[in-house]
Amino acid sequence: MSRFRKNKRLGIADSKGRYDLPLNKSAGSNFMIVLVALMTFLAMMALSATFLLNSVTHHWSSGLENSLTIEIPASDAEGKLRTQDDIAALSKRVQDTLQPFAEINSATALSQEEIQELVSPWLGEDLSIGDMPLPGLISVELNSRNPENLKSITDAVTAIAKDIKIDTHETWLNDILRLAGTLKISASFVTLIIGLTTITAIAGAIRSRMAEHRDDIELLHLMGASDMYITKQLQRHALILTIKGSIFGLGAGLAIIGLMSLLGSSDNPVMPGLSLSIPNTVGLLLLPIAISFIGWITARFTVLRVLGQMP
Amino acid sequence: MIKFEHVGLRYGIGPEVLSDINFTLEPGSFHFLTGPSGAGKTSLMSLMFLGRKPTRGLVTMFDQNVNDMDRAKLSKLRQKIGVVFQEFRLLPHLSAFDNVALPLRITGHRESEIKSNVDELLEWVGLGDYKNVLPLTLSGGQQQRVAIARAVIARPKLLLADEPTGNLDDNIGFRLMHLFEQLNRMGTTIVIATHSQSIMEKFGHPRLVLDAGTLHVHEQTSWVQKNIEGVY
Repeated sequence: MSRFRKNKRLGIADSKGRYDLPLNKSAGSNFMIVLVALMTFLAMMALSATFLLNSVTHHWSSGLENSLTIEIPASDAEGKLRTQDDIAALSKRVQDTLQPFAEINSATALSQEEIQELVSPWLGEDLSIGDMPLPGLISVELNSRNPENLKSITDAVTAIAKDIKIDTHETWLNDILRLAGTLKISASFVTLIIGLTTITAIAGAIRSRMAEHRDDIELLHLMGASDMYITKQLQRHALILTIKGSIFGLGAGLAIIGLMSLLGSSDNPVMPGLSLSIPNTVGLLLLPIAISFIGWITARFTVLRVLGQMP
Repeated sequence: MIKFEHVGLRYGIGPEVLSDINFTLEPGSFHFLTGPSGAGKTSLMSLMFLGRKPTRGLVTMFDQNVNDMDRAKLSKLRQKIGVVFQEFRLLPHLSAFDNVALPLRITGHRESEIKSNVDELLEWVGLGDYKNVLPLTLSGGQQQRVAIARAVIARPKLLLADEPTGNLDDNIGFRLMHLFEQLNRMGTTIVIATHSQSIMEKFGHPRLVLDAGTLHVHEQTSWVQKNIEGVY
C-alpha cells in the first residue's frame, strides 16, 4: 500500500486510510471535527463548573457544618449596655461551661480587634468603630453535630444568661447548599444537552454523508456487502473524526482551565481556586473517550437505521 | 438456478415494464438477453442481480424464494452473483486494483490472496500497468475491462453482464467473451445482455428475447435469426 503514497501524480490512487466509500475526501469531515471539538470544550466547561461547585459546597459545608458561634449581645435583656469587662467575664464563663463537653474540640473567644475586622466590611472602612458597642463572639468547633448535642450546649449556655444567642449557621448553610445544588443540577443539565446535541449532530452528519454516497452504498450492497460491512466503515470514520475533534476540544478546555487556575486565588475564603482533584482530572481526561464512544455508537445505529430503509 | 414465474415489474404507479415473465435458467447455462432498446433488458437484469424486487410473481434464485428474503440472506445471495453494469459503476476514488478487489474484500479474503488474484486478472485483461490508476483517467474500454474484472474476480455462480463489449473493439470483445465462456465451462451460469448480432452469431448460445416487456426464450439460433429480424 505504501507504493501508492510515494506516487503523487494526478490520477494515481492514494490508499491512505482506504475506505470503499470516499469518506476521506468528504467536505463535511472538517465540520464534524470542529463540531465535536466545540462540544467537547463546552462539556469540559460544564463538567469543570460542576466540579468547582462540588469543591465550593464541600469547602463551605466542611467549614460551617461542624462549627457554631455563640454571641454575647452588647446589651443585656433589659437593654442595658454591657461593659467590655462584663462581656469578657461572660465569655470566660461560657468557655468554662463548655469545657467538659466531649463533642467540643475548642471554644475560642474572638478578640475585639477580630470582631471589628469582621464587622468593618459591613460598616465601611472609614467609619471609626473603636467606640461602638460590640458583642462578644465565641467560635466553637465541634467534632460531631447532632440535635441532642446542640440542645445540651444551648441549655448550658443560656443557663448563664438567657439572652446569649447560639448561631448554628443552619439557615445560611441550607440556603447556600440549596443554591449550589441548583447550580450543579443546571450544569449537569447543560452537560446532558451538550451530549444530546452531539448525538443529533453526529447522526445528521452521518445521514448526510450516506445521502451523498447513496449510489456507492447501493453498489456495495449489490456486490453482496452486508449492512455491517458498510456500517463498520462509516463507524470507523466517525470514530476517527470524533477522536480528533474531542482531543482538540480537550486541549482547548485544559488550556482555559489552566488559565483560570492561574488567575484564580486559592486564598479566597469564600471561593476556592479551580484546582482539580485527581479523580476530577481523570474524569475530564476521559471525556474524549466518552465522546468518541458516543460518536461511534451514534454512527452505528444511524447507519444501520438508514441502511434498513434502503432497498 | 434462476426461475421467474409470472413476474411483473412496474416503477411507481406507471405501466408494467415487464409483464408475465416466465423462464428457467439451469446451472451452468449461457444465455444472451436481447431485444430492442426500451424493451426492459436492464429492468430484467436488475431483478436477476437482486437490485429490486418484482411487483408480482415469484423469483427463485439458487433454489431460494427471494421475494420475502431478509437483508442478510440477500447479501449472501448477491455474493454469488457477478454483475457488469452498462455504465460500469466503478468507484471513482478507488484505483483499478481496489475496484477489482472489492468483491473479495466484501467476502473477507486475505490481502495476500486478493493481491495475487487481482494482479493476475488485471494482467489478463491488459490493465497490468494501470492498477494504481483512478477510473476517471482510464478510457471507456479500459473502465469496462475493470468492471468485467470486478464482476468475475470472485468466481461468481451467476454472471450478469449488461452490454459488456459495447465499448470494446472486436478483438478485445471476443477475448472477453472467451473469458466468459471459460468461466461458463467452470460452472458459472452466464447471462449477457447485448445488441451485438456478431457476438450472438459467433458464440451461438440460446437467446432470451425481450419485446415490449414480454420474454421469449429461443434455444435455436436459426429460429431467433429468422424472427429477430423484425424486432430491430
